[in-house]
Amino acid sequence: MPNLKELKNRISSVKSTRKITSAMKMVAASKLRRAQDLAESSRVYADSLSFILSSLAGNTKNSSDLPEILTGRENSKISLLIINSSDRGLCGGFNSNLFRNAKNWISEQQEKGKSVKIITVGKKASSFYRKTDLDVIANFDDLNSNDKQLQVSEEIKNKIMELFENNEIDEVSILFNKFVSVIAQEPTYQSLIPLSNDEADEEVTDTSNAVFEFEPDKNELLEYLVPRNFLTQIYRSVLESSASEHAARMTSMDNATRNAGDMIDGLTLTYNRTRQAFITKELIEIISGAEAV
Amino acid sequence: MINLKVVSPQKVIFEKEVEMAVLPGAEGDFAAMPNHSPFISSLRPGQMVIMSANKVDESFFVSGGLVMLKEKVCEVLVDQIESLSDVNSSNYQQSKTFQELEGNDTALGTFEQVVNNPPYK
Repeated sequence: MPNLKELKNRISSVKSTRKITSAMKMVAASKLRRAQDLAESSRVYADSLSFILSSLAGNTKNSSDLPEILTGRENSKISLLIINSSDRGLCGGFNSNLFRNAKNWISEQQEKGKSVKIITVGKKASSFYRKTDLDVIANFDDLNSNDKQLQVSEEIKNKIMELFENNEIDEVSILFNKFVSVIAQEPTYQSLIPLSNDEADEEVTDTSNAVFEFEPDKNELLEYLVPRNFLTQIYRSVLESSASEHAARMTSMDNATRNAGDMIDGLTLTYNRTRQAFITKELIEIISGAEAV
Repeated sequence: MINLKVVSPQKVIFEKEVEMAVLPGAEGDFAAMPNHSPFISSLRPGQMVIMSANKVDESFFVSGGLVMLKEKVCEVLVDQIESLSDVNSSNYQQSKTFQELEGNDTALGTFEQVVNNPPYK
């Protein structure tokens, strides 16, 4: 027969766990709202910038006129992957989904004969990839404020510009959890070098009726635009990822709270049954004792 | 009237209808007015001025960025912007923009120069 005291302890410990998870859920919900606002308000800048960039690139008929950093190198050998994870755990499959996805991508690249380098964002990715034999060239973590997010994006941008110029990398992609909805986050790749075309193509048709004049000339503008575009894309992925993280945490903590509730119900039932059984047993003992006299 | 929209990487700073905006283009200041030919330019650090009836309404310091002009829309993508009515020559050293741009003396017009001697008054 289960011990009454043990059961009582169990119930109180599950109850305090439930308190923690429901508090975490509420914190995540309020952070999510902020992160979503940030992601949305940064979109205006990113959209305008990619519009300008695509009208500039679309305006240049011959793609060989464009700098390598836009079109990518012809025989690319080394790919760089920027992985946006979270700093903290307890957010369901948020990180593990990402890492599984990254693993497939990396082996795909290796099959094509490319070597892969990695930049990790967030503590979870850095501790995960430390244990693998992959070439991790930089870690960034503690992205707990918006200023820090911007600053880290800037540092990553500088890093990839430097690596590309030194011929240490040929391609750059970002992997992040795209915020689809509060219950769905989808690991997404975005190519930085070469510039991904899907967005650009749509925009170009849009610009065909407006022919822009450029000042200073296109090349100088591109020199300014390309790093700006990297920064914005990286920053955007960081923001998306943080919104997804809070959403994932909110959902998983909500589940945990509900599970804890179910568990408490079950345990309370067992506790009451056991208590009842003890009383019955004692009564039987007393009655049979009295009968014997 | 032209729709002036000022955007930083983090947010839309403001959006309003103005008669004319003077911007520090990379190759010289220019005025954004309705029906300007479609135009994209980078900005050098300097003063951005909103004018109506030949008078300065508001002036700002921009640390650089991009501008896209199209019919009745003027989109300004800035790195840093600060209203010059908030800063004057006595307190500019406390401002965030100054601290971030200090030592950036290769620029055509530093924050300090613009605050102390604005080209448009």
